[in-house]
Amino acid sequence: MRIPILKLGRYLLISVQVELDDQTALQFQEDLLNKIHQEGSLGVVIDLTSVDMIDSFIAKVIGDVVEMSSLMGAKVVLTGIQPAVAITLIDMGVSLQEVQTALDLEQGLERLQQELGG
Amino acid sequence: MRSIVLQHMIDNKDHYIEQWRVSFGELLFSRSESTIKPQYIQDEMKEEFVSVIFDTLTMDRHSRRAVVKRFAERLIHDGWVVSEFIMSLQRLRRIVMKDLSNHYDKEKFVDLSGELEDWLDEQITDLTTEFAKNHEEVKAIQNVALKELSAPLIPVFDKIVVMPLIGTIDTKRASQIMENLLDGIIEHRAQVVLIDITGVPLVDTMVAHHIIRASEAVRLVGAECLLVGIRPEIAQTIVNLGIDLGNFTTKSTLKKGVEAALQMTHRDIITNEEPVTGGGLN
Repeated sequence: MRIPILKLGRYLLISVQVELDDQTALQFQEDLLNKIHQEGSLGVVIDLTSVDMIDSFIAKVIGDVVEMSSLMGAKVVLTGIQPAVAITLIDMGVSLQEVQTALDLEQGLERLQQELGG
Repeated sequence: MRSIVLQHMIDNKDHYIEQWRVSFGELLFSRSESTIKPQYIQDEMKEEFVSVIFDTLTMDRHSRRAVVKRFAERLIHDGWVVSEFIMSLQRLRRIVMKDLSNHYDKEKFVDLSGELEDWLDEQITDLTTEFAKNHEEVKAIQNVALKELSAPLIPVFDKIVVMPLIGTIDTKRASQIMENLLDGIIEHRAQVVLIDITGVPLVDTMVAHHIIRASEAVRLVGAECLLVGIRPEIAQTIVNLGIDLGNFTTKSTLKKGVEAALQMTHRDIITNEEPVTGGGLN
């Protein structure tokens, strides 16, 4: 199972619509980094609207992906984290301190645009 | 099948009622909740109580319970204090016991007093159970009301919502706050949430911890949290307790918070040079 990564101008869009298991998450991490390298993208929006559960491993992978992407010069915004997921993450002590977030895809893109100066 | 004790009580009913009534004077309705009721109501209640208790002597277990239950409901409805009735029943026990010990020899007395205890305990249990049940119901209703009041979320501007908190915050309420906060953000598509703690009497490490957690969760769903309404004494407590609110934007009043929130969403309040005609401010 691979998560599709869409290119939109200078940005990459990912909408996670499957249950994230460890293997899928790691595969995704690799795919995304390759894609960033290939396209020279400046921003990435990962939309988690349809994800109802994140365990600590997935949370760690997401945190890592964000850090790796920014090393490669792409800003990442996480969007659409559901309240239940947010509460679980906080309960696990994962606050994704360094990660940018936005309410939905639209606001996520706006945010990227602001940060990258239009 | 009626025990000797009950038969004995029925036979000597008038005698006991008389004695019991005498001891009522000092016992029943000595609490202030009862004494503010008019004398004639107190008297009526005494009579009813006496008749309820002695009427139940001739009934079977089932109808006895029904009668006591109905009586208890009346007491609750009219706001009587249950302890006075219990104390009166205990007084009745003493009167009957004393009488029994005069009439029967020691062995018989032990048997009989056991029966008396059973009967009286049953009345007391029924009465208190009814009161306890009523308290439980009231508590449940109040809990629902409290829950509804505990964490309201008010949209004040486009993309800006306010959650005014009033009263003490415990763990249960904190999770309620968190849920309402996050659901409200999604529902109103809010970007900035103002948590107003003007009405929170005490901010200790626990409360601060809950607020910090809430704000982290808010950030994860993609909004930002402003803490407003920090009173001087709260600021002192926070610093004295060494609570780190460094990652927090805090403001002293809701007004300043709203201004900051507008700025964060790239808006501003401006004063029109000339009076606005038709329509309000944008």
